[in-house]
Formats: sequence, structure tokens, C-alpha cells
Amino acid sequence: MQSSFSKMTAFLLAILVLGSTLLCNSTAYGTHSSSPETTMHTNNWAVLVCTSRFWFNYRHMANTLSLYRTVKRLGIPDERIILMLADDMACNARNKYPAQVFNNENHRLNLYGDNVEVDYRGYEVTVENFLRVLTGRHATAVPRSKQLLSDEGSHILLYMTGHGGDEFLKFQDSEELQSHDLADAVKQMKEKRRFKELLIMVDTCQAATLFNQLHSPGVLAIGSSMKGENSYSHHLDPDIGVSVVDRFTYYTLAFFEKLNMYNNASLSSLFSSYNPNTLMSTAYYRTDLYQRQLEEVPVTNFFGSVMETIHTDSAYRVVSRKKYGEVETIMLSEESLHHDERSLMNLSVRDQVGNTESSFGDIWSLFYHKVEKIEDADTLVNYGLLAMLPVLAVFTWLSS
Amino acid sequence: MEIPSLVLFFTLIGQLLFIGIAFGSVIGEEEFHEELVLRPLPDRKVMGHFHFESRAPPSNSFGRHHHLFPKAIAQLVKKFQVKEMELSFTQGRWNYEQWGSFDPIPSNNAKPPGVELWAVFNLPQEQVDASWKNLTHTLSGLFCASINFLESSTSYSAPEWSFPPASGSLRYGTLPREAVCTENLTPWLKLLPCRDKDGLSALMHRPSIYKGFYHSQRLRLTSIASNLEGLGPGIVLEQTLTVVLQPDNQKNMMYSSKPNLQPGWSMSSIFGRKVNGRCMLAKSSNVYLQFERGLVSELKNLEKENGKSGDENLALEGFLSNPYFELSIKPDRIFQEVNNFHIKGPSIIYEFQVDKYSESLPFDLGLTWKIPIGWTCQQAPLHACRFLMGSGNERGAIAISLKSIESIMSSLDANSLDGSCKLQVDIFQVVPWYIKVYYHTLGVFVDGKPHAVRDIVEKIHVSPSKDKESPGVMEMVLKLPCGVKSAALTIEFDKGFLHIDEYPPDANQGFDIPSAVISFPNFHSNLLFLGDGSLNKSPIISVFQKKSPVLSYTEVLLVPLTTPDFSMPYNVITITCTVFALYFGSLLNVLRRRVGEEERFLKSKAAKKTGPVSQLLSKILAKLRRKKWEPPSSPEAASSSSFINSKLVFKVILVAAIAVCWQYYSG
Repeated sequence: MQSSFSKMTAFLLAILVLGSTLLCNSTAYGTHSSSPETTMHTNNWAVLVCTSRFWFNYRHMANTLSLYRTVKRLGIPDERIILMLADDMACNARNKYPAQVFNNENHRLNLYGDNVEVDYRGYEVTVENFLRVLTGRHATAVPRSKQLLSDEGSHILLYMTGHGGDEFLKFQDSEELQSHDLADAVKQMKEKRRFKELLIMVDTCQAATLFNQLHSPGVLAIGSSMKGENSYSHHLDPDIGVSVVDRFTYYTLAFFEKLNMYNNASLSSLFSSYNPNTLMSTAYYRTDLYQRQLEEVPVTNFFGSVMETIHTDSAYRVVSRKKYGEVETIMLSEESLHHDERSLMNLSVRDQVGNTESSFGDIWSLFYHKVEKIEDADTLVNYGLLAMLPVLAVFTWLSS
Repeated sequence: MEIPSLVLFFTLIGQLLFIGIAFGSVIGEEEFHEELVLRPLPDRKVMGHFHFESRAPPSNSFGRHHHLFPKAIAQLVKKFQVKEMELSFTQGRWNYEQWGSFDPIPSNNAKPPGVELWAVFNLPQEQVDASWKNLTHTLSGLFCASINFLESSTSYSAPEWSFPPASGSLRYGTLPREAVCTENLTPWLKLLPCRDKDGLSALMHRPSIYKGFYHSQRLRLTSIASNLEGLGPGIVLEQTLTVVLQPDNQKNMMYSSKPNLQPGWSMSSIFGRKVNGRCMLAKSSNVYLQFERGLVSELKNLEKENGKSGDENLALEGFLSNPYFELSIKPDRIFQEVNNFHIKGPSIIYEFQVDKYSESLPFDLGLTWKIPIGWTCQQAPLHACRFLMGSGNERGAIAISLKSIESIMSSLDANSLDGSCKLQVDIFQVVPWYIKVYYHTLGVFVDGKPHAVRDIVEKIHVSPSKDKESPGVMEMVLKLPCGVKSAALTIEFDKGFLHIDEYPPDANQGFDIPSAVISFPNFHSNLLFLGDGSLNKSPIISVFQKKSPVLSYTEVLLVPLTTPDFSMPYNVITITCTVFALYFGSLLNVLRRRVGEEERFLKSKAAKKTGPVSQLLSKILAKLRRKKWEPPSSPEAASSSSFINSKLVFKVILVAAIAVCWQYYSG
């Protein structure tokens, strides 16, 4: 009798401990997830940065221009692309093909077509200007075409290529952007509500290390190589005399060339398309700050500009921005209400079904569901072990 | 919020009504002209000069809608109160000796490499700098270039009188190393009503334009204040693109035995495209082929040799049946320059109207030479060239040398009536602050002999540089005797040090001193043409006829400065450390070495040093020899093993004790 009582108390204790941790988790999760969902994805921006100077870094410029062409093809207009090129390769005296840049030795595609808008070039590509673009802290005279005018509904693609190392990226062979700088800038952007979601794509050596300090929610990061790995160029063009494209970018482009604006390829299919054998490095992606499932996010959410059309019954109404926002939030809250209702209904159904069962069964099933949802199994086990100690103590005390 | 906007709206409506009543209709219309001048050059190249002109007449400004005129430019003029402005992007250097320097095109369109910007503002002096700064930022956004570097006070200057459009609120700045490429050309083309889709601008195939030897894209705007009150200023926007291209002469070389034959070309061969009709929005759309004075006089000489006579022959009907050259298209009109005093012949212009051509019948002008011909272009009175003197990283000197060209000077002599003939030369030079020029060291040499400065330099204005604040500006008026063969100016400087943050990423390449401007205010490079009134309407011809002083730019100088080099201290540290390590290491080795002990140690080591393989081998050998194998063991090893054993035993005992205790207490 005594022993059974002790068993019960021990069990209750364990449940208490577990339950409290679960509650903590769920509340934390709730605060995280609720904030970004108040705004809709309304626009797309791209910041494409080539950080290397000098002719032998031709491939970095070709990388950036290839991405520029891709995002333009998938629908981001020029005024929403900030293109930073650290040197002039197209009209370089060493370029055998003036005003042309190629990313493949077959020369089928001129990346430097008639309609390139370079926003920052040459000596202007500095860490300072880069951080200014991200955080939006410009001098008053800076024209709008050189600013990142994103808002809380923006999805931003940040692509960087150049020479990097452990937690840094070289700018122009004279300056460095450190992972802390990047993380701080992103944090500031988040606080200023300059983005809804941000995809950082980096093609440098040891690219993954650049993301180490990031901790702002809504950020997805992908790098071409892990710590200690190099990112290699894909091939050399004997006519131009230098390597023309990096492997990571080459295979990224190979993925995108198959797509058009209306394809629904997901980010996970992009990420899984990287083969470490062909890349000669391991592509790394950091998803722990990103809430959505990668399988559900189309690549055009970042690399293109495909907007959902909202169908309204009446004709176009002129509403001020704020009002529009309110409408949106109301709509969303309605949606969530619906959702709540649905879940309530589910609950009631379950209630009806489970009426015959005991109340303990209900609790148990709830507990079971909570346990199902737990992601961090290790801590659970730890807590369980901890809970075992008092049980053990009680038992030894009882049996003595 | 609502009420003021309503009031504004009504006032606007009122204004509009009032204006409508007052003027009835728009005064003048917006116009757009497109023109192209092609000119063969003596060194087997062809110059193409595009000229686009947009005019916005004076208007009742606010909220005006433009039909043809680019809105961005109109806004810019209004916002920054620009009276006159010129922006040029240039790649390459105009070859003054080969391509001529006494001509409206080089004096207006030959520009220093990189970006040059000057602007005159309609503002009080104290606001000019602020307006300039904002203008540079706006232009940098508009033309995708880093013109905003001209914002800092170290990079622009305010010439007082030596730069031609001199006036109090002029600001002048250059960026000699700015790259020029398609991203600059595209926004420039977007200012045209037909962009690069139709008309003459469709010829701009980027790879063929940027393959050229010289490429200068220029934008000049002038705002015209109107006499009528209540009208905003009208704006004239002049966009020119000057390219020097090499015709593909592979074909010519194939069948011509004469190596001196000038290459034949056509528009499709040099630009890679043809003109499919005019831009529909253009008021006039013409292509001109110009033969320079030198070429025409050469043709005339040939004519004389052949026994024919008459100047009109060549000009008026010669193109059809002449033994010298052949045009693929019959020109619509021919103009000849009115020539009063030049020894060389008059310049001839053939006009072709593009209106008649369409996509089914594209316009493709071609020129083929039948006989070899050589000529020289007209030169400015003095050929200017600038270079650096001295060596080392500490000091140096800048020299500007002016050399006379015989023919011009003789013609000048002939024109001057009295003996006291003087040749006036204006020099304007900007030097960045880190080149610390000592203006008192100015030396003047005429025909190789030093002269007193005050004899030659009539007027001088110097504003010395301030460190990290403003560049040094030197403006001079020289009066040289007419018979001068050569003149030179030298000035010494010290090289300064920059702060480590101020070095550009490629500092090792050196630093640029922008081009100096040399102008000859007494010489005007205008061509006067005979023709009916319609001729004057053509913008390019009116530019040709306008009196403008002969102007040339010198080379950009590249000054190597001392650059921070972190590899040097690194090398020093590593080599010193190596030397120290070698010295102390060997010393220590010698001092601490004990020979006897070492030998003993080696012996013991040899005994001990038996790997598993060798042990195995020795075991096998022992077996073979049927002897008992003795493992080479040392006393230390044995003791240590026994020690380990005791430890193990202790541990086992400890664990057992704990178990017993536990059992005892729990049980």
C-alpha cells in the first residue's frame, strides 16, 4: 500500500516537472511564432554583392551577375535589386570581349547585357556601405536607387561572394566583414522591421562560419562550404584566361535555369540539389531561425517576385496604408479564429468520442500529445533521469 | 491634413486656369533631334559622333508634363537650380596629334578619362556647395557611377576664370579612374525618347562601341531663362557620344595590293547594325559624313595633278563619279565650308536624311577608297603634354610642355599685322592635397631657356591645398611670343602621407592627378557653312558654327605614393625571429651538451628501442636458434607495471567496499 502510494507521488512529481518544462517551451514558441505572422509577404528585394577586386576574381563578378540575371528573370525589378560590384570586369582592359561577361566557356549567355544597373561599384563597395545598405542608415542625399527600401513584408535575398575565411568575408582585399557585423546588421534590420524573411546565400571559402553569430528569427542561411573547406571554381575559360564561375553558384544556376516564374520548386529541393561530390565542398544551411517548413516554401519567395493576388469583390478602393494593414490583420485574425474554431471542433469531437473514457485517460492523451510535440528529446531524458533520483531516494527510504 | 491639400488643389486649379487664360497655349514645343557625324580619320580609323538634342521650352513650371524631355533631368535642374552642367564619361584618350585638335568636335567632346563634371548654379554663393553635393549624389544614382565621390571637398574645386564657362558659382571635379561601361550608357540612352530601340541610337551595339579606341559619352544641359515672367526656365539637353572605331579591314587587305589604302567601311561593319529608319519622335534625323579640311585639300591636290580644275566639282557632283572614293548612298545635300584664311581646303559635309529609310530598306552608309590617300588633321597652336619629373617616394615635379606645330604658327604669323604678336594660353590644373605643390618653385622655359615668370605669366591665381580639406588649384594665363617653338612650365611638389584608412584598396597602383585643361582663347574652332536657312536648324551644324575656344586636356598623371605595406614588418619579424632562434638554439645546444651522458643514453636507447615487429623478429630468431628468448626489459618498466597493478587492485577494492557499504546501509 505504502509502496503504491509512493509510486503515485513519484509519478506525479515526474509529471509536474515535465509539465512545467513543456509549458515553458510552448509559451516561448508561441511568442516566437506569433510576431512575424502579423504581416503578409508583400514584396521582394535582392542585395547582390561581389566583394573582390582585380581581374583574377572575374568569377566572383560572374557569379553575382548570374544571380542578378536569375532574380531579374524571375521577376524582381531593377529598382528592388541592389547590385554591388567591386571592380569593373566588363570594360576592363584585360577583357577580350568588351562590355560582356560570361559565366560559361560556351559564351552563349552575355551576363552584362544592355540593361544592367549597378548601384555600388568600385571603391564604393566597402563594409561601411554594405552595412549602411542593410540597415538603411544613409546620408540624406543618397538617391533612392541606392537604398534598400524594404519593409516588414519584404523577403530579402542577400547573396555575397568573394574570398572568405573563418567568420569573415574580405571586401576589396583590404577590409573584412565579420560574422558579428553581419549578425548585428541583421538584428538591427529585424528590429527596424526591414524584412519578414531573409535568405543569406554566401559563396566563399568556409562560408558556413559567417552565419555562426546570427540569431534573429526569420533568417535562413546557406553557405557553399563548411568550416575548413574551400569553395572551388567550376571551370576556366581559356579565351578569357581566368576561371569564370564558382561551383556552388554554377549548380545553383543549373537548378534555376530549369525553372520559370510559375514553378513551385521548394527551397528544400534547391538545398537537396547540392551534391558535395560535384561541389567539392559541403553546402551548409542553417534553418533553426526559420519557422516555415522548407518543403512548403517555393524558391520564388526569395529568388523571384511572385505575389499572391488578393481577390476583392468590389472595385479598387483607395485606402491608406495603415488602414490596409489593419484590414490585413483583421483578416488574419479572422483566419486564426477560423482555425481556432476548427481546433475547438476537433476537441469537442474528441470529447464526444472519449466521453466513455476516464478523465485520467484524457490527461494521459494530452500528455502523450505534448510528448509527441517535444523536439528536444535529450532534455526530456535528462529531466526524466533527474526525476528518477527522488523516486530512488523515496524507494530506498521506504524499503529500509 | 485634408484641408491644406484641398486648398493647395484649388490654388493649383486656379493657377492653371489663370495660366490658361493668360497664355492660351504652350510657348514653343518640345523638340528632339538626332544626328550622327561620321568622319574618316587619317590613321585608318573612323570617328562616329552621335548628337541628340532635346529642348524643353520655357514653361509655367509646376507639375508640368513632358512629352519628350526626360523628367529626371527637368527635376534635377529645378531642384538644384542648375544653370549649366556638363557630365562626361570617357574611356581612352583622344589622340590630339592624329585625330585633330583644332576642330569643334575635339574641343567640345574630347574629355579626360573617367568622369568629369562641372556645373554652374543659379544660387547664392553660400548654397552652391550644398547643392553641388546633392547634385553629385543624384547623378550617381541616375548614371550608376560613383560620382558621389566628388561630394567631398577634397575632390572638387571652384575655378575662377580659366575654365571656359567661368563664373562665380562654377564647381568642377573629375574622377580619373572611374570605370565607364554599359551601365553608364544605358541610363543615358534612357533619357532619349526612343531609347536605344529606334532611330540612330539603335546603332549602339555595346560590344562594338566599347571595342573602340576612344569612347566619350557626354551630357550637357543649359537652362535658358525666359524673358516672360511667370515662366520657368527652358532646358536644352545635349547628349553626345563620340567613338573612334577601327573598321574591320581584313577584307580590304585581302584584295588590295596597296598597303596605304584607307580601309573601306560601312555603318554595319563598324557598328554591327544598320539604321531602320528614324526615331518617330525626332524632328530631324540626319547622318552626316564629314571630310576634314586636310582631306579635302589633299583630294584637290590630286585633282589638280590629274589636270582637272574647279573646286565645285568635288563638292557637288564629284561623289558620283570620282576616281578617289565611292559612297554607297547618294547624299541628299552637300555643304561646303566658307573658307577665308585657312590654307587647307574647306571642310565638306554630305548630308543623308534617314526619314526615307525603313526596316525593309535599312540605311547603311558605306565609304570605299579607290586610291591611297594620306592627310593630317588640323592641330591646335600648341601641343600640350604633361609629365612627372624626379624619382623616389619623397618629392618630384610636374612639367607641362607646349610644343608648337609649324603650320599653325606660320598662319598665325601671317595673320598678325604688328610684330608684338602674343599667343595666349590658359592653363587650369587641379592637384589633390596629398601632392603638396610649392607654387613659388614655378619655372618657365621658353625655347629651352629659363625666363622670368613675370615675363610670360600674365595672370595667375593659386589656391593652395589644405590637408584633407581642399585640393590645390592653379589657374594661369600665359602670353607667349608667336614664334615660340616650345615652352615648358615646371613646378615642384612633396608627396604627402595619407591616413591608413584613406588608402584605396589598390593603393599600390598609384594615385592620379587629374588632367590639366589647356585652352587657347584667341583661337576659335568653328566651321562656317554656306547654305539655306534650314541648315541652321540642325543642332550639330549650329554647334559647328558656334564660336568656341580651342581646348585640350593633358594626360592624367600617375603618382606612386608610399603605401602601407604590412608584409614588410611581417618579413622583418619572421627573419629576425629565425636568426634569433638559430643563434640561441645552437648556443644552448653547445652549452648543454654532455658527450659522455649522451653516449650512455644512446646505448640504452638502442637497447630499449625495439618495436613490436623487431621483437617478433627476435622471438622468431630465438625460436629458430632454439634458445630461450629474453625480452629486453628495464627495471623501471617492471616497477611501473607492478605499480599499475597495485593501483588496479586498490581500485577494485575501493569499488567492492562501496558496494558492500551500499548493501549494508540499504539492506
